[in-house]
Amino acid sequence: MTPKNIPIVRFSQKGLDLTTSEKKVVKKLIKAAEAIAPIYLSQENIKNNGANFYPRDITKSQILEAAKDNPEILSPYTIVEKAKNGKLRATPYHLKFKKELTKVARFIKEAAAITDNEDFAKRLQVQANALLDGNYEASDIYWLSMKPYKINFVIGPIERYNDKLFFTKCCYQSWVGTMDYRQTGDAIRFKDYIVSSRRKVLVPSEKVDFLDKIQIRVDDALIFSGLIARFMFTSSNLPNSVNIMERYGSEITIFKPSFNLKFDEERHPIFHAVFEENFQKNYPAEVLRLGSLRNCYLHEISHTLLRYRDAERRLKEYFPIFDEISASVFGVKACGSLLLKDAISQKELEAIMVMFIAMAFSWWISYLKEPSVIHYAQGFAIALNFFVESGAIRESNGFSWPNFTKLFVSIDQLADSLERILAIGTYDDAQKLVEKYASLDIFERFGPNLKKLV
Amino acid sequence: MRHLVKKIILTQKGLDQIKAEYDELISVKRPQITRRIQRAREFGDLSENSAYDAAKEEQSLLEARIAQLEEVFPKAQIIEQVMTTDFVVIGSTVVVEMNDEVHEFAIVGSMEADPAAKKISNESPVGKALLGLKVGEVIEVSLDPVKSKIKLLEIK
Repeated sequence: MTPKNIPIVRFSQKGLDLTTSEKKVVKKLIKAAEAIAPIYLSQENIKNNGANFYPRDITKSQILEAAKDNPEILSPYTIVEKAKNGKLRATPYHLKFKKELTKVARFIKEAAAITDNEDFAKRLQVQANALLDGNYEASDIYWLSMKPYKINFVIGPIERYNDKLFFTKCCYQSWVGTMDYRQTGDAIRFKDYIVSSRRKVLVPSEKVDFLDKIQIRVDDALIFSGLIARFMFTSSNLPNSVNIMERYGSEITIFKPSFNLKFDEERHPIFHAVFEENFQKNYPAEVLRLGSLRNCYLHEISHTLLRYRDAERRLKEYFPIFDEISASVFGVKACGSLLLKDAISQKELEAIMVMFIAMAFSWWISYLKEPSVIHYAQGFAIALNFFVESGAIRESNGFSWPNFTKLFVSIDQLADSLERILAIGTYDDAQKLVEKYASLDIFERFGPNLKKLV
Repeated sequence: MRHLVKKIILTQKGLDQIKAEYDELISVKRPQITRRIQRAREFGDLSENSAYDAAKEEQSLLEARIAQLEEVFPKAQIIEQVMTTDFVVIGSTVVVEMNDEVHEFAIVGSMEADPAAKKISNESPVGKALLGLKVGEVIEVSLDPVKSKIKLLEIK
């Protein structure tokens, strides 16, 4: 059993369909993933908005001032420290953590030497080198250009959530997984449905378009290490760089074990806590599980449809709120045409909508445990307040009854409003919408029903 | 009194694909799964035998599909290759505007429908609504909870 403060989560390996050689590869990669955890630990500091990326006694404006002379200070891949002369200096991760990374790279290279898949061996070599020389772009490009392979391995400085000061510095994380072919087939079907239509876009020049290069897979994750072990993500959509995404596409991964855990321990109990008892009887657990899983991949697929080059610059700190909730809402909206084309049933669409509401509460609970995910909670608060205002969901003693027709109309309207802000909205537009709808009181009101989960 | 048999509408290509799938299931997949079940039985105790359970489950799915395909042959009604018409028929490829999105797909019989491959069933709400429409016409289609206006932009 891993001690609680070590950011490593191991999942069951029971029933894995791997050859002897593949098992050896996976074992080495798991070792590499484990070896990344201490680096993440050294970056993490929940008491500090800048985590351990910047000196604690330096203000945000001092960092910005220093970055004018030395832009590397705001690079996603440097640690900022105070030099003896009092000036700020930026040290690249691959130099700062050279000793630890050499060990990680050794495991990856050993895995590369064992695998029978030449493409995967090359990718592992490029990945190991990237950790040692900081050329993450080359590694990302090779990874995205590779044909989907049974074994999935991601490692490096990736997510920015711990840098609450600038949302810039990346934390180390890693995962190893193997593809669930059946569920991956369902996810690919949804992706193909959604990207097969051409959308009218408000500002085509600002839209990042790479729909033909999106890959999606559902994995039986075997290990999470580093930041992902703390946040227990149910999905990932990489790379983060819009430029690489536009040229080489993106890879969406849904993590089945963390999703199942989330569903069993949170989303399904939430469904029972917030919906009226008779209503619940219409939805067996497995129908809801699939609805909830589809919410995950709809969210990630929609992310790729809603990339606007300058949205982050315009919306500043509000960007993550709109970025996340617009993807979730748009994903449900996109299911409307799937129903009319007979690609999904009414019951399946209802399950997706119902689990969207359960997911809103789930993010609120996550926020209570981990305040850095507040942008998800605020985003879903926007959606719930909007639905309540339109009468799509009603409250009575904490329970809610959805009117699916009204709810779908609300989802459609909200998806349009959110995309408008991402595409052409100003900072003020974003602020007004957040002030009007993002109050977390909507969740608090359901508190008595959810007290066992909070 | 004669029973009315509901015909299954197919293109010749669709019927050929179904025949090919049927032949493969009968001559390749069925013997394969029978062999797997036999091998799994040799491992002993069937109550704790996951390989046996998996093979049996696969066998029941296979037999269900075979039965489904066998139903198609006597009911198949082949539709001729579509000549360009000025209204939508089964077999037409159409371009429509729906919810501010432009969709292009072919309208096919339900057996050939595969929305991910842009083949929509003539029995789906969208399929039913479009049959007989001319370019430029707008129609409302709904299936709770979704309501949408569809404008026919082009018949290919």
